[in-house]
Amino acid sequence: MSAAVLTRLRDEYGAARAALPGSVIDARRRSEAIEMLCAQGLPAGREENWRYTNLRILDRARFTPAQPSAEALPPLPEPLSGFARYVFVDGRLRSGATAPHGVTVRSLLSGSAADGTWRLASELPEARLALLNEAFATDAACIEVRSEAAGAGIELVFLAAAGADSGASYPRVRLALESGARLTVVERHVGVGEAPTLVNSAVRVELAPNAHLTHYRLQHCAARTAWFDTLTAELAADARYDLLAVGTGALASRSTVHARLTGRAAQLALSAAALGAAQQSQDMYALSEHLAARTSTVQTFRGIASDRSRVAFNGKIAVREQAAGTDSRQSLRGLLDGAQAEIDLRPQLEIYTDEVRCSHGATAGKLDENMLFYLLSRGIAPEVAQHLLKWAFLEDVVAKIELPQLRRQIEHGLVGRMSEAVALKELL
Amino acid sequence: MLTIENLHATVDGKEILKGLELTVPEGEVHAVMGPNGSGKSTLAHVLAGRPGYAITAGTVRFKGRDLLALSPEERAREGLFLGFQYPVEIPGVNNVYLLKAAVNAARKHRGLPEVDAFEFLTLVREKMRLMRMDESMLSRGVNEGFSGGEKKRNEILQMLVLEPALAVLDETDSGLDIDALKVVASGVNTLRAPNRSLVLVTHYQRLLEHIVPDRVHVLVNGRIVRSGDRTLALELEQRGYDWLIGEAA
Repeated sequence: MSAAVLTRLRDEYGAARAALPGSVIDARRRSEAIEMLCAQGLPAGREENWRYTNLRILDRARFTPAQPSAEALPPLPEPLSGFARYVFVDGRLRSGATAPHGVTVRSLLSGSAADGTWRLASELPEARLALLNEAFATDAACIEVRSEAAGAGIELVFLAAAGADSGASYPRVRLALESGARLTVVERHVGVGEAPTLVNSAVRVELAPNAHLTHYRLQHCAARTAWFDTLTAELAADARYDLLAVGTGALASRSTVHARLTGRAAQLALSAAALGAAQQSQDMYALSEHLAARTSTVQTFRGIASDRSRVAFNGKIAVREQAAGTDSRQSLRGLLDGAQAEIDLRPQLEIYTDEVRCSHGATAGKLDENMLFYLLSRGIAPEVAQHLLKWAFLEDVVAKIELPQLRRQIEHGLVGRMSEAVALKELL
Repeated sequence: MLTIENLHATVDGKEILKGLELTVPEGEVHAVMGPNGSGKSTLAHVLAGRPGYAITAGTVRFKGRDLLALSPEERAREGLFLGFQYPVEIPGVNNVYLLKAAVNAARKHRGLPEVDAFEFLTLVREKMRLMRMDESMLSRGVNEGFSGGEKKRNEILQMLVLEPALAVLDETDSGLDIDALKVVASGVNTLRAPNRSLVLVTHYQRLLEHIVPDRVHVLVNGRIVRSGDRTLALELEQRGYDWLIGEAA
């Protein structure tokens, strides 16, 4: 990363700032964000927690937000029944719905100046691309959930339609659940076209005591998209956050998750599955920071790297002094499906207190020869057997999807990513 | 059904089978017995086509065809079934999916349409009752969390559903208590038919009390050193293998 990129970033910001909406982010905060980012510099491969990310794309990316597109929407994934769907095109709300009882969904494009003052809850260098979003965001979805909302469903679809020549897309979401509120959110990132595209999303999750958020995040961006993503979450006492991420799309994908468990007995379950093929890179950094007693984290990752792809998961669990009685489990597994494929798994554990129970395991390997032969010996064709075993490998994550309709969509999406899987489809 | 002539096989350069001869006619049940390390499991795996074994000499004919020229899945579709000594657990691959995929692979091979889903499940349930297996096992992953005995029953269940022309059962009796042994044996016995052959690979005589073989062969040091009727198994039970090892040397 060179100084020239930062100069260009500043220049692009300078040219774009007058047109950026203050109700989404206050103008002063935008300028602060760009200065903070330039002071730190863009992420670089020499940094430990960025080394598996394909960052080359930032060198030539155009940061200016894409102009709003008026084109008709391409076919989108089938809507989930019972969910209110909101569609954002290149980071701006295109179509909304009637919010469920107890839920307010607002596009901050039509908000007031007081709305535009929040940022993501992380000072970490791993989360600094959120500052890029803060500087350039063109809209934000602000979802507030009151305690009377019990099990409502919201679907957010972010479509990247513009090519990188015309500009980047900045999805931005704030999800705030009041005490005792429950919500299921399905967040999809999709794309169209063959043009290179830059997407940089930022999501902030705030859970008040005893709130419960189930959050599915599906990244199925178009083949030449660079998808950068930052999510922060704060969990108050007894709050529960079930986050399940599936990444199959984009050319280069990097997601940073920083969860802070600040209240007693807060629970985080982070499950992620990633498929890499061709020259894709799928990278995730997830930090779970335990700041209160009896908090728990379960991290589950399953990744398959085929062809020349790279799939990385860097999962860190930090247990601070005040977090006695923490219970954390990490299970990271990678499957190599190609001589030039790469899997990078890093389980990290940092414990500053006694009386904790933390387990972790990480394994990477090829398909199990014994399993493969067992299936062949039953007459199953080799390519079907391989697909079955890959499928089975992802099951630890996929089985956690509690919405049957979504699960089916994801299963078919995953199968579709496995080439020549027609025979396997018949089994589902 | 099965004719093996002068079969030599090596693993990692070490010769395990050293000129094995065995003929199993249609409709017969043959037992292959032998001490540890004599090559019994190697024989079973070589017949099923497991990678990692090099055939250095000899021929194997199955239903008149060159078995060694076929891939493992082709052998299965042609009607060869291997009952594993240690069936693997495959979490995430459903038992009933595997069964159905296996049945349909064989049917497609024979130019038949896919099995009717309802009739298939009815058949599987009937066979499960025979094997005294709980129906809940159908919806679980292949052998996932099964006890040793349950895994062996599941092997026999698969065999009953697939109805192979030749079944090679590799130490299916190992690790079974006496009740499970009886269930497994009665399952195997229901499959005895004039057009079907069975090869039972075993250490011990006790399985042969329940599945009475037509012929018994003793495998020592990679070769069949003696063949006889079922009384040979009783003699081995009395005298052990040492006298045959002495003769083979």
